[in-house]
Amino acid sequence: MSVESLVIDLSLNTSDPIKNFALGEEYEKLKQHASAAGFFLRAADYGYKSQPLLTYTSLLKMALCWSRQNDRNATVINTLHHAIAFMPGRPEAYFLLARHYERNKEWQKAFTFSELGLQFTIATKNSPLPGYVEYNGPYCLMFEKAVSGWWIGRKEESKALFQHLLDDHKMAPEYVYGCLNNMKLF
Amino acid sequence: MNPSIFIEDDGDILVNVRLVNYTLYISEQDERFFSPWGPLTYLHPEKDQRLTTTNYFCRLDKNLNLQNSTQVKMLELHKPIWEFHGLEDARVVRWNGDLYLIGVRRDTTTNGQGRMEYSKIELDKDKWTATEVSRVRVPAPVHEDTSYCEKNWMPILDNPYHFVKWTMPTEVIWANPDAPECKQVFTRETPSSPKDQRGGSQIVRWGDFYIAFTHEVALWRNYLNQKDSVYRHRLVVWDKDFNFKGLSKEFSFLDVKIEFCVGAAVYEDDLLISFSVADNAAFVMRTPRHVINEMITEALAYVG
Repeated sequence: MSVESLVIDLSLNTSDPIKNFALGEEYEKLKQHASAAGFFLRAADYGYKSQPLLTYTSLLKMALCWSRQNDRNATVINTLHHAIAFMPGRPEAYFLLARHYERNKEWQKAFTFSELGLQFTIATKNSPLPGYVEYNGPYCLMFEKAVSGWWIGRKEESKALFQHLLDDHKMAPEYVYGCLNNMKLF
Repeated sequence: MNPSIFIEDDGDILVNVRLVNYTLYISEQDERFFSPWGPLTYLHPEKDQRLTTTNYFCRLDKNLNLQNSTQVKMLELHKPIWEFHGLEDARVVRWNGDLYLIGVRRDTTTNGQGRMEYSKIELDKDKWTATEVSRVRVPAPVHEDTSYCEKNWMPILDNPYHFVKWTMPTEVIWANPDAPECKQVFTRETPSSPKDQRGGSQIVRWGDFYIAFTHEVALWRNYLNQKDSVYRHRLVVWDKDFNFKGLSKEFSFLDVKIEFCVGAAVYEDDLLISFSVADNAAFVMRTPRHVINEMITEALAYVG
């Protein structure tokens, strides 16, 4: 559906979290991140009682929107903390936070949140999220742990983890390249 | 983003879209998810405290699809010296053949004093370029010359260089587009308003009436002393001599806490209304004549 159709649909029930989420996703596709974030926030605000998975996903997508806008670190982190507080038993928010810290060279924080996230990757209760949040599975957290581990003195552990990822996990191409490039350090 | 719509004599549908470098964060409903600075925040880049506006001139087709857009090339007349940069919330008008963006600028003093400015725009419709060719900073009328911020004056589309400066009571002023000169033309008593009616769209002639969309603001601070607010709109109705005739009930477009309408234009018997949602998304809504007429009927019943 187009933005126009989705807005008209939303106007029929403006507090419907699903309709707000759908409009946010359409703006996200158009790379209009400010618009997208605004409607994801509405989806979360109106859905936190009735639509917990949608709310959690909205919070993650808000963080992704502000991350793409650059230079909104405090808001990205705050939003991911909202997500963790809302659903502490899921891995995705830990992953995004770990990746955020890794990209900002805050290695210990990246390592800590990778490790925390890995505690929740085997939970059988994790239902699929209603939208993509750049988390492809547990290997993403292992990758963040491996990268950040190298920088905090855990060289051998990091090397073993990269090798394990290459040997035992089917990963998206960018992660494969990331592992191969990092292995050159050893 | 904040759009102001205008219909040219040749039928072109123009929209000036104000683009901002911030994202407005507004928690709604139970305000479950505050930003780091509270429920309502301007999220500007963390290493750049400025709230910067750029303007884009757009042309829509008859189905309101975007056909052309171009950033307005503004004159560089001074170095901005306050954190709000650029011409804000500009309304589009064409008076006596000249196209103007008329908005507020707050970057010429160190304390952010706001004054309305005329920016005359040269719009090349073949190459689709928009260039500011002259600018006049309008002083406040003499009796209000010490005011801190003049903004949201509503241009009267069929009365060149005239604005409704205040709605209730109504004050109409004239501002010279070629020199820093401004004077009060007349005032009209009105009933009391439930809340201060602030400027919104241009003033549009609608049959025997003039109409405009105003906005009103509820602003408060929560127990943490963090600001929060709600904007709502009303339709104001005057007769052809600007005697106040009515005020509609408050309404919103999408029930978002902050919306802002700075454009209205008659098009093929309907009214096009342009508005922003949370400064983050811009919309043009085609509103059938009968709906506007119903709103006017409701407004005419206003007794204050």
